[in-house]
Formats: sequence, structure tokens, C-alpha cells
Amino acid sequence: MKKSLIYLEPNNYQNSVDLLEVARQMYADDAYETYAVSFASCCREAEGLFDYLIEVLDQQIQNFDIINTTNVLEELQQVYQFDSILIPATHIGRMLAPRMAMRLHVGLVADVTAIKHTNGVLEMVRPAFSGKIMAGIVNRGRIPVMMSIRQNVFTYQLGESKNSLRIEYHPKPAEKSKIELLSISEKEKTNDIRDSEVLVSGGGGTMRYFRRLKLLADEMNSQVSASRRIVDSGIASRSIQVGQSGKTVAPRLYIALGIYGSLQHIEGLKNVESIISVNTNKHAPICSLSDIVVEGDAEEFIEKLVDKIKREKRICHENDG
Amino acid sequence: MRIICLIKFIPDVENFIYDYEKNVLVRENVRMVLNPDDASAVAYALKIKDKNPETYIEVVTMAPQGVMLQLEDLLRLNVDKATLISDKLYIGSDSYITSMILGKYLSGINFDCILTGTHALDGDTSHVPAQIAEILHIAQMSNIVKIEEQSFGCDSAVIEVDAEKVFVKYKVVLPAILSLQKESKYKLPFIKYKDIDLYVRNRIEIIDNEVLGYEQHEVGIRGSLTQVFSTFAKKMDKKDKLVVKNDEEGINTVFSFLKSKGYV
Repeated sequence: MKKSLIYLEPNNYQNSVDLLEVARQMYADDAYETYAVSFASCCREAEGLFDYLIEVLDQQIQNFDIINTTNVLEELQQVYQFDSILIPATHIGRMLAPRMAMRLHVGLVADVTAIKHTNGVLEMVRPAFSGKIMAGIVNRGRIPVMMSIRQNVFTYQLGESKNSLRIEYHPKPAEKSKIELLSISEKEKTNDIRDSEVLVSGGGGTMRYFRRLKLLADEMNSQVSASRRIVDSGIASRSIQVGQSGKTVAPRLYIALGIYGSLQHIEGLKNVESIISVNTNKHAPICSLSDIVVEGDAEEFIEKLVDKIKREKRICHENDG
Repeated sequence: MRIICLIKFIPDVENFIYDYEKNVLVRENVRMVLNPDDASAVAYALKIKDKNPETYIEVVTMAPQGVMLQLEDLLRLNVDKATLISDKLYIGSDSYITSMILGKYLSGINFDCILTGTHALDGDTSHVPAQIAEILHIAQMSNIVKIEEQSFGCDSAVIEVDAEKVFVKYKVVLPAILSLQKESKYKLPFIKYKDIDLYVRNRIEIIDNEVLGYEQHEVGIRGSLTQVFSTFAKKMDKKDKLVVKNDEEGINTVFSFLKSKGYV
């Protein structure tokens, strides 16, 4: 029976839980058990999905105190002998994983985006050279297999609910932390479209109602950008133009509303993970680059999607309350 | 105060050569440039030395000998010493072995702080700083956008970190490894005109395996714990696009997609 440990990162629980998909792909048909480890009280998201939930009971240890979290993970490794340790590649995870790998004297693959099996060999795929090439990395024999996994790449489809067994773990006394948290400040929102993770972008088709794009952008905590046609008509300023004569942007998600997708516009999109396009013409060039094409009117789309997001947020809120 | 700047020269990303047969980067004969995040680390050290001239700066890098000219230029900027760890045996080392080699050198010298970069444009694993910190048993922090100058002493430093959604301010006990980002805006100055031809070669020390004494099988490709198995160019994926209508089902599809990717 293989054992896989997944580190639950308080800054992104959902994504940590999704690493179950990595374990599933690694072990495929082999029997395996999943363990979650969390330093805060165990998150709801993991309940019923893992076989074991390990709660580390030491209030002193904070997630940025990597020396102490590594100490605890090492103890756990000695107790449970995991075959793999999976860590989300968050800001914290990317500091924890390498320290842990060095502690255990095992190899580590960073920012894994895909799992491949080639002739019985497990290949961990990661981008290199700013994503220009992809590399399949193999581990040379030592156990546990360790990787940090790119955020929001894997999605775990809920299987049958498990009876998660809670394990309360009392670690050895922590060392004095070498790092002290002084303060946390919110990021000021910049207005540069190049800094936005998500762009809600409007083209010629949105000429009449371009200002309504902001409704959707606000709901998604993102920014509005535009194609050249909108800028040339004086509806939006040049600073938010995407394309060859505007800016090159690299959002994770690009929502193209009423954008045709000329070559000059596509030039301005680099390493965009997902594109959703809304267009009355489903054969517009932008559509062939899209993950989802909504065939229809963008104004109506904005209204309906904003409505949906608001409703879902309300439901979520009520459940929490 | 003694500052070590741990730096990496990377193949000029725009035109690097990759040996697809052996699956290694051909680093010889490729123009090497200082990794931008690491340049910020050196720039910050120089800024400190400007204020406190008694500050001693040593840059440490593991690279082919071809980077001598680049190291000379750093020395002309007021860096005191450059250490080049270089041996044919080390070629192809993965991040674990690289950390082990650098860690061996660093554990033998004195310093108050190690400054380095967070991301390297070539491999971008960010493993080495954290792994060396483990070897030296000191703290390490990545994504630093600011080190408060007045706080930067021999015992501790106050740093500001870009922690994805927020900025976090920490106080870190020194010695530690502080990994900067180029977004810190610490920029290398230009070499002063009078120093352009300054003789600095005598301030470069080359450390090879004669000094560090690893067995051949412990380092390089053979010693590495991970290995590049295959490489392929990333294709502009022809996506299996999903075409939906502007109706309830369509909106639900879009919403589920946004939710699964964490956008809403």
C-alpha cells in the first residue's frame, strides 16, 4: 500500500486538496492511502476526501517558520514512511519543499504541471525557460518522491466520500523561531493591465456598452482591457490596450468579449493559461484559442454571469453564517 | 559586516542552446548574463557598502569559467571578492547536488548574511537558497521586495515580502539567506569610467574539485537525485474548445470553469 502525504497550505486550502488528483495520477491502479497534514486546525475542505487527517498540535509553529515545519514533517516521515510528499507551490510551499527534500536527502521536482507514465517510469513534467520548454523529470530511486505542484493546475473530482480518520500529532518541542511576523498589508491595486491575473477584455462588439465590462471585472477582482478598435474610437485609453500596438499581457485568464482576435491582438497575449470568448460569431479567430466559447451577445453574458457569481457568493455566505 | 551574494549566470534566455540528445543545457559558448533577481541582491549589497564602506562583499557562483569577464565587471563595481566554483565534474548537477557543493564552500567561511535572488530565469526551481539554508541550519525567505536599510545589521533584518495576495513584514535573525526579487527595484549601478579597465583578476578565486574533494559519482549527472528524462517544446495547445450558448446551461458551464480554477 502506497502512502502519500499532502501538505495543506493555509493560504490555499482548496488547491492543496486538489493535489489528491496528483496522487491519483501517480498511483493509478495501485492501492494507496492519502494523508493530509495541517498545522492549523484541519480545514473543512479536506474532510471526507483524505484517508487520514494529521493535525499538528503546536500553536507555536506558524507556516512561515519553515525550519520548524520541516522538523515536524521529518518526524512524520519517520513515523509513517510516506512514499510521496506533495506540496503546493505557493510562496510558502516553494520554501518548504526544498528544505524538506534536503533534510530527507531526496530529489525534488519543482512546479509540476503534469504527471506522465512512460514505460513504467514516473515522469514529473514542469516548465523551464519561462515556459519555453517542458521537461519530464524522473526521480532516481530514493523514497519519498517529492514535488511541489503548480497552483490551480490539477482539479480533484470528488470521488465517494471517505471516513477521514483524524490523527492528533504532538510534535517534539519547537525550536525558537528565527522569523517573526511584524505586519501584513493589503496590496494596493495597480492599474496596470499587465499585473492583473484576470482580464475582462472588450472588442468592437462591445462598443455600445464597454463601460459595463467593469461590472464583471469588479466581481472577479480583475481589470478591464480593450482591443484597438475600442481605443481608436476613444472609448478607452491607450494604457489598457492589448495587442501589438498596445501592451503584451500574461494574465492567467483572458475573457474576450466581442473580440475578433486579429493577429495583432493575439500578439499581445503571452502564456495565457485560459481564454473564454464570447462572440456572436463562433468562427472568429479568438474562438479557436479559447477553452470555452459562448456563442451570443456579450452584454447579456455580462449580466447573466455577474448575476450568477453574486448569487453563488450569497449562498456561500449564508452557509458560512 | 560580511555579505555573501550568491549569484547565478544564466544563458541569455532568448537564444540558449539545449542538447536534446543528452538532455542538458549547453552552457559553454553561450552568452551568459547575470540573473535579474540576483543582480538585485548584488545591487542591495553595494548600496549598503556605499553607506558603510567597511562592509565586505563576496559574490559566490557556480559556473563554467567563461563567466570570468562578468565577474570582473562586478568587482569593478566595488565588490571585494568573487569566488567561482567551477569543475567539469559538476556539469549537469541537479539542484540538490548544486546546493550540496555550494553549501560545502559556504559552511567553511564566515558571513553575516547571504543575499540572493528568488527566481532564476532558466531553471526557476528556487531550490538552491532554501536547500543551502537547510545545510547551514539558518532561516531563508523568498520573494523579498525590500530590506529596511536601517534595520540591516549583524543580528537581524526587517524585510518586506510579496506573499502573493498580501505584503508581509518579517524580522529575520541573521545570519540568514534573503532571496530578493527584481521587483525590489534595487538596480546595479554602472561601472565608473575610471574603473572600466581596473585590474581585478587577482580578486577572483577559483574553487575546483581539488579543493572540495567530491568523488566523481557523487556530483554532476551521476550524483544527481533527479534527472531530465525528456524535453519537448510547449505547443500552443490546440484546445478542445467547448461551445456553449448564452443560456443557463452555458453560464453554469462558465461558472464551474471559473470556480474550478479558483477565479471566483
